[in-house]
Amino acid sequence: MTTDTNKFVIPIGPQHPALKEPANFEFWVDGEIVTGASVRLGYVHRGIEKGAEARTWTQNLYLMERICGICSHVHATAYTLGVEKLAGVAAPPRANAIRQLMGELERIHSHMLWLGVAAHEGGFDSLFMYSWRDRETVMDLLEKISGNKVHYSANLLGGVKFDITPELAAEIHKGLDFLEERNKFYLKVITTDETFIGRTRGIGTMTTEKAEFLGAIGPTARASGIARDIRVDAPYLIYDQFPVKVMTHTSGDLHGRFIVRINETFESIRVIREILDHLPGGELTTRVPRRIPAGEAVSRVEAPRGELLYFVASNGSEKPERVKVRTPSLCNWSTVLSLAIGLKLADMPMLLSGIDPCFSCNDRSVGLKSANQDPQIWSWEKLRQYGIEYYR
Amino acid sequence: MNLPLHPILVLLIFPGGLFLIASGLVYQWADRKLVARFQNRIGPRFIQPLADTIKLLAKEEIMPEGVHKGLFITLPIIALAAALTAGLYVPLFGFQPASSFRGDLILALYALSVLTLAMGLAGANTISSFSLVGATRTLTQLFSYEAPFLLSLLGPAIAAGTWQISEINTYAGQNLWLMIAQPIGFVVAMVGLMGKLELPPFDAPEAETEIVAGAMTEYSGRGYALFRLGKDVELVIGLTLVSAFYLGGLGNPLEFVIKTLALLLVLALLQTAFARLRIDQTVGLWWRAGALLAIIQLIAIVLGRNLGSIF
Amino acid sequence: MASTVGSLGAAEAVLTPFAVAFTRPSPERLDVTIHPDNLLTAIRALVDESWGYLSAIIGIDRPAQPPAEGELQAEGAVEVLYLFCSGAAVVTLRINLPYSQAVIPTISGIAPTAMLYEWELREMLGVDVVGLRVTGHLILADEWPEGVYPLRKSFTGFNQAATVVKGA
Repeated sequence: MTTDTNKFVIPIGPQHPALKEPANFEFWVDGEIVTGASVRLGYVHRGIEKGAEARTWTQNLYLMERICGICSHVHATAYTLGVEKLAGVAAPPRANAIRQLMGELERIHSHMLWLGVAAHEGGFDSLFMYSWRDRETVMDLLEKISGNKVHYSANLLGGVKFDITPELAAEIHKGLDFLEERNKFYLKVITTDETFIGRTRGIGTMTTEKAEFLGAIGPTARASGIARDIRVDAPYLIYDQFPVKVMTHTSGDLHGRFIVRINETFESIRVIREILDHLPGGELTTRVPRRIPAGEAVSRVEAPRGELLYFVASNGSEKPERVKVRTPSLCNWSTVLSLAIGLKLADMPMLLSGIDPCFSCNDRSVGLKSANQDPQIWSWEKLRQYGIEYYR
Repeated sequence: MNLPLHPILVLLIFPGGLFLIASGLVYQWADRKLVARFQNRIGPRFIQPLADTIKLLAKEEIMPEGVHKGLFITLPIIALAAALTAGLYVPLFGFQPASSFRGDLILALYALSVLTLAMGLAGANTISSFSLVGATRTLTQLFSYEAPFLLSLLGPAIAAGTWQISEINTYAGQNLWLMIAQPIGFVVAMVGLMGKLELPPFDAPEAETEIVAGAMTEYSGRGYALFRLGKDVELVIGLTLVSAFYLGGLGNPLEFVIKTLALLLVLALLQTAFARLRIDQTVGLWWRAGALLAIIQLIAIVLGRNLGSIF
Repeated sequence: MASTVGSLGAAEAVLTPFAVAFTRPSPERLDVTIHPDNLLTAIRALVDESWGYLSAIIGIDRPAQPPAEGELQAEGAVEVLYLFCSGAAVVTLRINLPYSQAVIPTISGIAPTAMLYEWELREMLGVDVVGLRVTGHLILADEWPEGVYPLRKSFTGFNQAATVVKGA
């Protein structure tokens, strides 16, 4: 990261149409060729790790869930698993099954969101619109389970809040059938569309050795042939009973990253079906003490973007001594900066989104105020219909 | 069809001037709506392009630092004027062109190029890096699509034996549709039109995820509104030219509406079907495929004419 | 689990020359306390052995307890943990840095991913990382005052009561 005033710098961010969350990238270009890159993060640093030290164990559960709007469940799961490890309790099997089920639904939702964003960065807006439309299905399923589309708050210390009834299971099956069919279509599109292949094949190729050296994780690493997946390497929840296959690809380029993620979506769909068919019975929660015994715990889970690591330290009080969150996006930045050099400027947005950096998620309102200040609660259906009518 | 109107009216109101701009807005809406529907979105309302234009015209125009003020102000005007001038030579709404002389095809095409050139210059005039990259790409693209597009419109001209748009229009109306007689030329013309209009997948010059709005990034308010209007007018003229040459000529307003909208439908479909090409891919495509195909078509036409005269 | 035990054993063998103490907090973890001077060699030994990958660098502030009557105020310390993972196995290298000697060498030459973690460590906990090529702020605001490290326990916000959560 040297600086040179004579370079022609293209700034991407903090405000830029390619970024849905603020970050700053500077690409030094020679014509269209990128000769250097740098990154500046932290525009929305919220001090969550510091904040966690001032909140109780239970309050922190909700704080951790708000680290990310896309993978909120997996953050809460990692935190809960860490705290449960410290407290020496284990959640009932049914709770773990539901956690895993929601985690995999979340992975589908995250991968489809990513597919849309990445396609948009490559100027393929049709794929963007279609995949986001279909992603609504999985978000609706999550809403049916938990009442929320984004922050499900399904986890509790020692269990989960929501049960999967047989009717709900039937609906999830139906939604999964649709999603599977759609994702087969997307796999066909990305492997046959000539312009899309022209934009992804051979772009940002990372060999296995390079990925290993740069510390790539998650689908980015798996697309370079590194078979590393916490769900398989260190099974948590009930991944030992309902295992997943590690999806890898050998090409190491952007195209491989698309294929790996879509294949993972299929794998998630398969696992969810299996869990639904063999859902263990029993309680949903178990008791966790208010004060967590002193100690340190490392909890690792596989988030949609890769390995998510939580380090939880307790001093025996009601509040944690330290909570360290190592998010997967952080590990992959160095791959972007090193792969960028020599590529075209036009490849940068796709390369950036290729690692699936955690972009903000869509949100929604439930309470609107009408003109006479009467709080009016709108149902989701009504709100959606209102939106459609408004723009027609 | 001839128009019994005073030249000033022709120039300012119909079919040039106001009407051309209004139809530009309508076609912009139709294009956006079609693309939106193809992408399963709802799309803008009918009034949206007009509302956008009025809003932009009313907004403050910010003059960025480091620009040549005179150029910054005049370039949008030149751009729109060039597009409107080109409109005088094409059979808009199926009427005879307002003005016509031998070789006006070349003039019309270059008037449209002036628009693109003005946009490129407008980008190069600023010191914003997005604009500069956008300007480079706009001009690069200009040099790549211009030759094949011109060659593809030359095909009908050679077939008709004239370089006068109105005569080619009449010739096209009396003979077999040139779309069938010269299919390669038609394809090149269609794709060339997309390149000229910087429509996806040839929208690298204004790729929003890379360079925000390309050459237009620093423009706001009035200047931006004029550039946009210029583009809309260019869309109408481009559609008119291609449908007059390849879709059997434009004899009356009804024919004009049906043929240009049919062409727009195809354009919108093509826009939604592809990922954006990088600028190097665009240039490669044009010079390797576009120009070559257009030349093959030309050779075929010339051979066909000469062989016909021999036998 | 057999492979986990095996790889932890391998790590233990590699790290024995540098270790001050070994603990096994849980079956898949190996906790190795080392002297800060041995940090680079220990990590190089792990990397040369291709043992796993650097997963995180974690800093924990350990302020001194208030002194008992008649005792001198002890110095607080920052504990730095280097987490290496291989499959399910997690190896923690633990070093203890008193505030006055909060200096570590960079390991970004051996493991490039360490750069961001070390940067964060320097910024949030005030550990000086020698040899880190980057300067300036990574996550804190540009106008953040010198010498204020938000993840130290002594930091409780600007102009706010000690009990209030940092808001700014």
